[in-house]
Amino acid sequence: MAKLKLALYWAASCGGCDVAVLDVNEKILDVAEIADIVLWPIALDFKYHHVEAMEDNAIDVCLFNGAVRNSEQEKIARLLRDKSKTMVAFGSCACFGGIPALGNFTNRAEIFERAYVEAPSNDNPDRAFPQTITQVDGNELELPEFFDTVLTLAQVVDVEYFVPGCPPPVDLILKVVDALATGQLPPPGAVIASDKTLCDECDRKKEEKKITKIYRPHEIIPDPERCLLEQGILCMGPATRGGCGLRCIKANMPCRGCFGPPAGVYDQGAKLVSAIASIYQTNSEAEIARMVDEIVDPAGTLYRFGLADSLLRRKRMPLAKAPPATVEPALEVIGR
Amino acid sequence: MLKKMLAQLGIEEERVRLEWVSASEGDRFASIVDEMTERIRELGPVSYNDGGGNG
Repeated sequence: MAKLKLALYWAASCGGCDVAVLDVNEKILDVAEIADIVLWPIALDFKYHHVEAMEDNAIDVCLFNGAVRNSEQEKIARLLRDKSKTMVAFGSCACFGGIPALGNFTNRAEIFERAYVEAPSNDNPDRAFPQTITQVDGNELELPEFFDTVLTLAQVVDVEYFVPGCPPPVDLILKVVDALATGQLPPPGAVIASDKTLCDECDRKKEEKKITKIYRPHEIIPDPERCLLEQGILCMGPATRGGCGLRCIKANMPCRGCFGPPAGVYDQGAKLVSAIASIYQTNSEAEIARMVDEIVDPAGTLYRFGLADSLLRRKRMPLAKAPPATVEPALEVIGR
Repeated sequence: MLKKMLAQLGIEEERVRLEWVSASEGDRFASIVDEMTERIRELGPVSYNDGGGNG
């Protein structure tokens, strides 16, 4: 059999997904056995122009990790889509926006202000910000344009398969490699993980789900045998897809939701609000207010990995210019 | 909790309302729905701006 052509790319990501690929240890040799890698910025010295020179569909599989938050990432996502027969959103950022998509609670102007002016280590009295085009000694230097809104890969190009996880666990990566090697691929659109929720797969002792106080993980040492939610710790298991191997749960830490919503759920955060609200045990307004206060950052907690993929996608943007006459002046507009 | 979360996402609190209405309170149900409909109409749509802003 001819070797598969494989591309791996990182966009807005931390590099953990690439490291996860190396975590397959000696199995990486199996990957090398079945595939020639044609692009892998973290490990190999191929350039974009090598990919540009290829015919369309010349690459069999592209494992794309990271969200899309600037024009370079968008351009390469489109390039790799054109050149690849199969596009895989690899890891939580490519699938749902991931941690970078928490940037959707803010926008480019606010991020630049923080990063280049406010941060205590800065000395930037002239308020110099990165420019997409800069003239230096008669030469033009170009930087990618930074977006207001972090996007999932599927919001930019068509995606065949989704491999969630922050990062994807080794056994799922090997499952993907096996599927590629044998050509036994699931139907397009499939999420390569479990169809159950994390709670379904969790073997902790579950009794009665009634809580009167929410603890943050540092405020309590949880019983390693009992359901974490029942102990008052926010665990995203009820509305998170399983298949992760319960890595956090086994370390006595709550699920943070990195596998995204389970099958049939569109909005992970909304499902989690309803799951958590339904186990609160109180009838007094004051008690309810106290418990709501105990969740310091509900949107950031419940959409920790899924904001870009949620129904709202981002915090509404302040309107940049005067709104059209038909719109109330106070209205704001959601921007990308 | 939902209101707190929506506020973080820039959605006005007035767009969400929780009321308990018994099955025998048909008139009250109708008037609450009317009020809410009117309020949302005044607020206008939550505008998406999917095309611009990026790049």
